[in-house]
Amino acid sequence: MTTSDSPADSVDPKLLEILVCPVTKGPLEYDAARQELISRAARLAYPIRDGIPIMLPEEARRLD
Amino acid sequence: MLDTKNHEALVGDQFGARANAYLTSAVHAQGRDLEALVALAGNHRNARVLDLGCGGGHVAFNVAPHVREVVAYDLSTEMLDVVAGAAKERGLTNLKTQQGVVENLPFADGSFDLVLSRYSAHHWRDFDAALREAARVLKPGGIAGFVDSVAPPTPLLDTYYQTIEMLRDCSHVRSYSRAEWETAMARAGFLPQVSVQFRVHLVFNVWIERMRTPKVQVDAIRALQTSVATSVTRYFETESDGSFAIDVALFQAVKG
Repeated sequence: MTTSDSPADSVDPKLLEILVCPVTKGPLEYDAARQELISRAARLAYPIRDGIPIMLPEEARRLD
Repeated sequence: MLDTKNHEALVGDQFGARANAYLTSAVHAQGRDLEALVALAGNHRNARVLDLGCGGGHVAFNVAPHVREVVAYDLSTEMLDVVAGAAKERGLTNLKTQQGVVENLPFADGSFDLVLSRYSAHHWRDFDAALREAARVLKPGGIAGFVDSVAPPTPLLDTYYQTIEMLRDCSHVRSYSRAEWETAMARAGFLPQVSVQFRVHLVFNVWIERMRTPKVQVDAIRALQTSVATSVTRYFETESDGSFAIDVALFQAVKG
């Protein structure tokens, strides 16, 4: 996977406006460098693969 | 030793491998039920629409030209890749894809004006939770339109139908009856409005090949089809090659 700026690989900004953490329904922070959506409340970082945020807690990285 | 696999993994496996078959499936790409569902979006040019369990993306493709934005949501990333590719080919720049489970939607409350869903609910692990989430992400007064195969009205027909569906596809959970739909929608905070019923003819070989059903299960379906009571074969209009007809309904509701 690359981190190019092509539309296929970046999360749509309009989608980011409405995305929340599926666990807490709280806000997400977009980490462009790591390609993750971070839920501080759930202490989870959801991966973005090929531009698609994978909104499954079991796929997320735990934040310590 | 039996593998442990959860329902979502099963659904993902079943559909991920068959994504292109759903893009090209005639039953999925057209039909009066699809037209009726798309018509719901007709007068909402400014709407943001969620296609819940988008599968091959046919609701999203057909609705996108009429509204501001469509989010095609599915468990299977392979399916979403196919949908995103087809949307690009068709020039549907207002169609976005998002992955996740229906029981826990990653969208803020009141994000959508319309929530549409077609041939997805019978795969949901938790029907009530998914309907509650659909209601949560709708704006107050927002419209929901759910299309799915419905369970026939008597226990024998119902059991037979769920059995052949599960033999065909082990990720089948339940096709709900009209009564179950209406009470579940009400429990989830919807005000059920109209429901319309359709009859959909399924060509046996196409139906089986789309899901790559193992031969042992195909044989079991064929055996069941020919050994059940005549009242059952008559209800489903079962033909000698195994083709048959099912009831499909569109349930329209408003978020209260």
